[in-house]
Amino acid sequence: MSLRNRIAFYYTIATAFLIAIVFTTIFFMVEKIVYKQFDDQLKKEIAEIFADSNISPDNFQGFEDFKNNIDDEEGRIDNNYERKHKKDKLKVDTEFIQLVNNSGEVINKSASLSWCVLAFNPRQSGTSYFTNNFGGSMVRQAQVPLTNPQGVREGYLIIAVPLKNALIVLHDLRDIFLFSFPVILLPLFLLTRSIAIKSISPIEKVIATAEKMSQSNLDERIPLPFHHDELYRLAATINALFGRMQDAFQREKHFTADASHELKTPLAVVKGTLEVLIRKPRDREHYETRIQFCLKELNRMARLIDQLLMLARYESNKMTPHIMVTALSPLVENVVERMIPTALTKGISITFNQADSAHIAVDPGMFDMILENIISNAIKYSSSGSTISIEIKHDADNVVCSIIDQGIGIPEEMLNAIFERFYRVDESRSSSTGGLGLGLSIVKKLADLQQIMVGVTSATNQGTTFTLTCPHAG
Amino acid sequence: MRLLIIEDEPGIAGFLKDGLEEEYFAVDVAYDGKSGLDLALTNEYDLLIVDWMIPALSGIEVCRQVRKAGSLVPILFLTAKDTLEDVVFGLDAGANDYIKKPFEFEELLARIRVQLRTKNKADDSLSAGSLSINPATHQVFAGSCEITLTPKEFALLEYLIRNKDRVCTRSRIIEHVWDIHFDSDTSVIDVYITFLRRKLEAAGCGNLIQTIRGVGYIVREPGMV
Repeated sequence: MSLRNRIAFYYTIATAFLIAIVFTTIFFMVEKIVYKQFDDQLKKEIAEIFADSNISPDNFQGFEDFKNNIDDEEGRIDNNYERKHKKDKLKVDTEFIQLVNNSGEVINKSASLSWCVLAFNPRQSGTSYFTNNFGGSMVRQAQVPLTNPQGVREGYLIIAVPLKNALIVLHDLRDIFLFSFPVILLPLFLLTRSIAIKSISPIEKVIATAEKMSQSNLDERIPLPFHHDELYRLAATINALFGRMQDAFQREKHFTADASHELKTPLAVVKGTLEVLIRKPRDREHYETRIQFCLKELNRMARLIDQLLMLARYESNKMTPHIMVTALSPLVENVVERMIPTALTKGISITFNQADSAHIAVDPGMFDMILENIISNAIKYSSSGSTISIEIKHDADNVVCSIIDQGIGIPEEMLNAIFERFYRVDESRSSSTGGLGLGLSIVKKLADLQQIMVGVTSATNQGTTFTLTCPHAG
Repeated sequence: MRLLIIEDEPGIAGFLKDGLEEEYFAVDVAYDGKSGLDLALTNEYDLLIVDWMIPALSGIEVCRQVRKAGSLVPILFLTAKDTLEDVVFGLDAGANDYIKKPFEFEELLARIRVQLRTKNKADDSLSAGSLSINPATHQVFAGSCEITLTPKEFALLEYLIRNKDRVCTRSRIIEHVWDIHFDSDTSVIDVYITFLRRKLEAAGCGNLIQTIRGVGYIVREPGMV
């Protein structure tokens, strides 16, 4: 079932339930009011009978007395032309009067009853009113106990009036209710359904837009509805999601383009060089320089593939860091010792203040890789004669390891981008520095895995400072 | 024939220059878009080979600027960008052809020959009188007899025959046959012309190259004097 039908269906069910309750209540209230009127009429009749026969129900002198009084009553009615006329014409208005003793034997009854007998309910000790089936039609009956002055009950006066007219009204009312029930519900269902269709039309727009979206077309956005309601929020949220997806796809596309460029270029160089080399016979020296050149390119390519694979592995989160509490100084010292020979060939010195006993919780292997990447960058972008200094400082919460170089620096507007894959400040991608553009991406990824904050400040031609901030661990 | 390569990757520029020079082309190299554009606009090249992603000015921009300056020089795009949109975009920017990296050097040569092919001709062969030249194989025939030429002699003869029936000034010859590193001493042309004439005469088409005194040289189709 579609949403709009379901909304309409549930709404209609709920309304049907409510209407049923309301109708039933109204019906029973009307019924009660009708019966009360009959009861009032019966009460009046009883009072009249007692008044006519000069007795009261609690001063009952015996049935003998009463017998005549009933005749009198009949006579009284007979004398009343209006009533008589009415009685002849409309039997419905006839009253039935009957006297019974305690055991239910009929002592006397009005002529209108002819051979019939009104039902007697011996369990009722006080005055009671009830509805009864009398000779195939319904009557409202009152039963009044008659007690003698000593308080002993002698019998009952039973009086009844036919309910026919009232019942017609009540039956009509019930029929109207039963008929109007579906007549109300069907239009209600259709109306609710059309309201539901209108209310969820923005959802249809969402669906239509989402269907149009594809990887190649992420520009579509859902038109925002006029009212700032839940559907507005839904549309806005989905639009934001589309935006994030578009960014992600864009980054991925960019990365793929960069990666393919970075891989294809050395491949093209090697291939082209060898193709040209083989076209003609050449001397040994020529072969050697060209092959050396190709080997250099291939090594670069191999390094690039290694780093790409490493990044891919970290990004798919297949590598989890093995965090352990480690002294920072020996870690740094290790890397520095390894990097010093490379630095020396470029005439760069590395200094390290070892006077710190700080411990941090990191994966030593990963931290080593972070340091190596940053220091090798520092060497790459520093000129001969400069110094790279590494400092460890700590306060109550954090340990900060700074790698400070005096190299060419990074322009401020590019600082944010340096951690992006394949980003190089020197956009010519030429391999003169030997950089691949992945080192800092790997640093960032590794640092994120270990909750290490990487900060960078730089001034062009004065140097760059990388800081690694990690929480203190004992 | 003189080519300009605008390519930032020294490895690629290097082997292209080596290989193309062996094919008797005069080759200049620019390593970024800006200097490449300057060279392309100030010198007369027979073909440009342009990489897309180059610093300072993108290959697309170089291409547009060259076209904007009214030059119809054939431009070959050489790039690692390989999606359909990239190819279309590149060609629409004014390039004549598009080669994806990595490419076959032989294919590049063939495509260069296509771009240099004289209009209204089905193949690459050039001829003047009984002399015919095959630029693909660098062979020169006088009738059925092959003439052996040095690369520079060949390049000079090829240029003259490509511009058959037109006067080739000394400066244009220098520009198209020698690369930018050659100082503009045009007397070297006379030396090569002398060598060429000697070889052609031996093969029986001696009067092909004529001197226009004070201006340059011309190759005329015999009978059209």
